[in-house]
Amino acid sequence: MTRADIVVLVLALALLPMLYVKFWHHGAAGDEVRIMVDGKPWQVVSLKHDRRVTVHGALGDSVLEIKHGAVRFIASPCPSKYCIHSGWLHDGGEFTACLPNRVSIEVIGARARYDAINF
Amino acid sequence: MELSVQPTRADHRIAWLTALAITIHIAESALPNPLPGVKPGLANVVTIAVLCLYGWRMAAWVSLLRVLVGSLLLGTFLSPTFVLSLTGALCSITTLGAAHLLGARLPGAGFGPVGFSLLAAMAHVAGQFYCAYWLFIPHAALFTLLPVLMSMAVVLGVINGIITRTMLQRVTP
Repeated sequence: MTRADIVVLVLALALLPMLYVKFWHHGAAGDEVRIMVDGKPWQVVSLKHDRRVTVHGALGDSVLEIKHGAVRFIASPCPSKYCIHSGWLHDGGEFTACLPNRVSIEVIGARARYDAINF
Repeated sequence: MELSVQPTRADHRIAWLTALAITIHIAESALPNPLPGVKPGLANVVTIAVLCLYGWRMAAWVSLLRVLVGSLLLGTFLSPTFVLSLTGALCSITTLGAAHLLGARLPGAGFGPVGFSLLAAMAHVAGQFYCAYWLFIPHAALFTLLPVLMSMAVVLGVINGIITRTMLQRVTP
């Protein structure tokens, strides 16, 4: 390898982490979660304090857990449990729903990660 | 009126080397492609070897003829695949030209096969990626793929460069 080869290789290896940081950096973390029941806003809860929220939906109670600035479904009376499988939501714009129970949650932040999501 | 073309020695050489590159190109297209958008690009070994042995003009001929004839044989001529392939080839051959000119001015040895191959692979991916973005999938989510594609370009570019260097050591006395 010549000296020029080594310079190019070093520059290329320096470029790669920059690309990962630039294009794989997630949206800003969210501050609050908006809980909707039956398509109407029900409550906005801060993500700063760890707590559990019980939401009364069409079928029964869905339970949300808020911890370390993230939120997830931990229980819902639906058959398929897609809402629970969505896992933790932390970034502004992240969204999930329990359609049978008519409960949906959306993280609100200064910067949204998505404009729209479809399932 | 009779038109006769006298092929020169250089023409013959281009034809032989292009035939070699096309063979590798087609053999490679038969390989399974586990990651979409990533392929070894072994035909570029020929391009880089030609660049090191005979200069840039010849390398440009071999590279562009390989893309043209390869697409005719594989049935992708004028398809999106061909557009992407041609864009990649044009970008890498332009970069190689610049690197070749620059290398001639540098004190010391300039670029070797590994440097050329790495630059060509990265230029190829960058050009192809922006072409795909502008022409086919103008969606910001496409950029999530760029770091992965570029990493593969660096790895495969260096491997192809090492192959080229080994080959040149055997070909040249």
